[in-house]
Amino acid sequence: MHQPPPASFCSSSSSSGGSSCECARVGVRVSALAPAAAPCPAPRRLPRPRQPEPPSRGTSTLLPARLGPWCSPTGSPAPLSCETGCGEGSWILVCRLLVPTQVSLLSMEEDIDTRKINNSFLRDHSYATEADIISTVEFNHTGELLATGDKGGRVVIFQREQESKNQVHRRGEYNVYSTFQSHEPEFDYLKSLEIEEKINKIRWLPQQNAAYFLLSTNDKTVKLWKVSERDKRPEGYNLKDEEGRLRDPATITTLRVPVLRPMDLMVEATPRRVFANAHTYHINSISVNSDYETYMSADDLRINLWNFEITNQSFNIVDIKPANMEELTEVITAAEFHPHHCNSFVYSSSKGTIRLCDMRASALCDRHSKFFEEPEDPSNRSFFSEIISSISDVKFSHSGRYIMTRDYLTVKVWDLNMENRPIETYQVHDYLRSKLCSLYENDCIFDKFECVWNGSDSVIMTGSYNNFFRMFDRNTKRDVTLEASRENSKPRAILKPRKVCVGGKRRKDEISVDSLDFSKKILHTAWHPSENIIAVAATNNLYIFQDKVN
Amino acid sequence: MEVQKEAQRIMTLSVWKMYHSRMQRGGLRLHRSLQLSLVMRSARELYLSAKVEAHEPEVPLPPVRSPDPRLHQSREAEAVVEAAPPDGEQPSPEPMDTREAPPAEETPARCAPRPAKVSRKRRNSSLSDGGDVGLVPSKKARLEEEGEGASAEVPDRLQPPPAQAEGAFPNLARVLQRRFSGLLNCSPAAPPTAPPACEAKPACRPADSMLNVLVRAVVAF
Repeated sequence: MHQPPPASFCSSSSSSGGSSCECARVGVRVSALAPAAAPCPAPRRLPRPRQPEPPSRGTSTLLPARLGPWCSPTGSPAPLSCETGCGEGSWILVCRLLVPTQVSLLSMEEDIDTRKINNSFLRDHSYATEADIISTVEFNHTGELLATGDKGGRVVIFQREQESKNQVHRRGEYNVYSTFQSHEPEFDYLKSLEIEEKINKIRWLPQQNAAYFLLSTNDKTVKLWKVSERDKRPEGYNLKDEEGRLRDPATITTLRVPVLRPMDLMVEATPRRVFANAHTYHINSISVNSDYETYMSADDLRINLWNFEITNQSFNIVDIKPANMEELTEVITAAEFHPHHCNSFVYSSSKGTIRLCDMRASALCDRHSKFFEEPEDPSNRSFFSEIISSISDVKFSHSGRYIMTRDYLTVKVWDLNMENRPIETYQVHDYLRSKLCSLYENDCIFDKFECVWNGSDSVIMTGSYNNFFRMFDRNTKRDVTLEASRENSKPRAILKPRKVCVGGKRRKDEISVDSLDFSKKILHTAWHPSENIIAVAATNNLYIFQDKVN
Repeated sequence: MEVQKEAQRIMTLSVWKMYHSRMQRGGLRLHRSLQLSLVMRSARELYLSAKVEAHEPEVPLPPVRSPDPRLHQSREAEAVVEAAPPDGEQPSPEPMDTREAPPAEETPARCAPRPAKVSRKRRNSSLSDGGDVGLVPSKKARLEEEGEGASAEVPDRLQPPPAQAEGAFPNLARVLQRRFSGLLNCSPAAPPTAPPACEAKPACRPADSMLNVLVRAVVAF
């Protein structure tokens, strides 16, 4: 039944033999108690939104450098009076970052044939706006950086605007910091399968030196990226002139020592490790361990444990593949390490169960330490019960005491100490329960929503349809529905709470279930680790909202 | 009747989705396929239970006709899916008995709807009495051999498969291999791929066995 852990995989093409002048190796253990301090001075204020970066060293140069898809933020955040909100204040739009309109127009004017060509393998990215659909959003550990991944395999990192006396209101805005192509479409010749370049997950590593490190993954390959700044360059070489051309040795009469001179800030992203060929099925999660030396990647049936330094081997720690695939009843849908205990992790399944495993118990963690399952409510049993009970996301609270799971219609909070039922259940959009058949027809029932905790674990947030997203305050038991939309996002706008009308009588501001737009869904959201700033991804737009409490 | 129609519609829809998921970029998604198969199984159970209820007192004509449109539609899916490249991920391509649905429950359902084709039915039940659920797919295999354009009277040409001692699947694999290896074009490894390719195809007749095989097969991605 168990397959032996793979001893090794074919070594990938990573250039992991780093040169010695690079910053400290990833994975150097720091004391677990020390906060992730930034030893370097705070990054400087960026100049105005920058031109797209040339392809970074190490990235593929198959496709020409493309325009970063992100424009500068529209409007400035407005100081507002506090209106009734979700208990912790009201939410205002800080910035909305969107795809340049010329790209959208281009794709609209295309004829059918061109579109067909563009949909084929290795399509030209400048046409397809589908490539701009955001597929993951993640703040780093300080909240200063926000990374987004999209379907086209790009990663865009935003940096928070520094506070300054001149522009008080600009603090809280996020501007483009770096853009790079993380993954390219690939073709698996053995299986005749195309491997999508869509970024499934991004996870940041805690900062240990001046550079930032993040993991990004598509369906098959995980990559470790180093994002670093360069603001000085050496000048005054003897053998080369300023443009890099070799000088004629006969013209050299003096010897000088090169000096470092300031230059325009440049942000480079280089792939430091490539972890490939370890997953037969599609990777759905990655999670960095609290020891900062290892991380895990989970696909539908297996979870592998990696060391950051070693790219050609990984340990398989969970394998739920049955000997006979016909006996398959559940798959792994998400996995995460415990935030403080480096030996524990959880993984959720498509059957609505969560398993907590302890790596100290055995090398192969097929037997769980804890098994969380809520008995099904027989009154809710329907044709599609099995599908909607599938957990699409699992997240530990920052305290490590609770886990939150998202299935199609609800969000549940579980106490790690109680396995037989969740301690809290929140209905996200229960009005869809009677519409499951139509949602099955239009494929919406397969949508995988994510959920997030706020920094203090008091509020949880998740997305819904019609560009709605919901927040639930665990203490006051109040909840709010907000909308991330272009129409409502005027520069000085406070978000107005929305309401979906379920019954017959529809009030003025309510929206009825039938007029919900199911193509506009919010699957990915992120919450700043310490402040009330949230990032909401609505298709190809990224909205950043801030709580404004006077 | 409504329930049956609904269940049927959902099954057809699921097959369609299953077929299309093979064509999409990124390859087959295991989780999605699993969910589709779960829905199909629920639809089948619903359909069967509705059918049993409906047919206890009544003449079974409607059910005989109802699989036809589905049959026709599934044929196309079949033909194309067969040509699709095999999914090389599964190590064990042999279909096996359905986990949950015992053949016994389907036998009465099968018996009821086809008085007109008594001989087929009898043979069918006799085979089922052998306790060999794998025979049902063999019926489908037989069906395929007669050609894609064949009409719906598949069970007429049923021949009892050779008896086996060990269980349904080795025999099924062999039968399917024989039947389908010719139909698969350019497949690098014909024998192991024959079962997977046919697995995704719905059988034509009868409805119950179709569902049976289909659901079983679909899970075996």
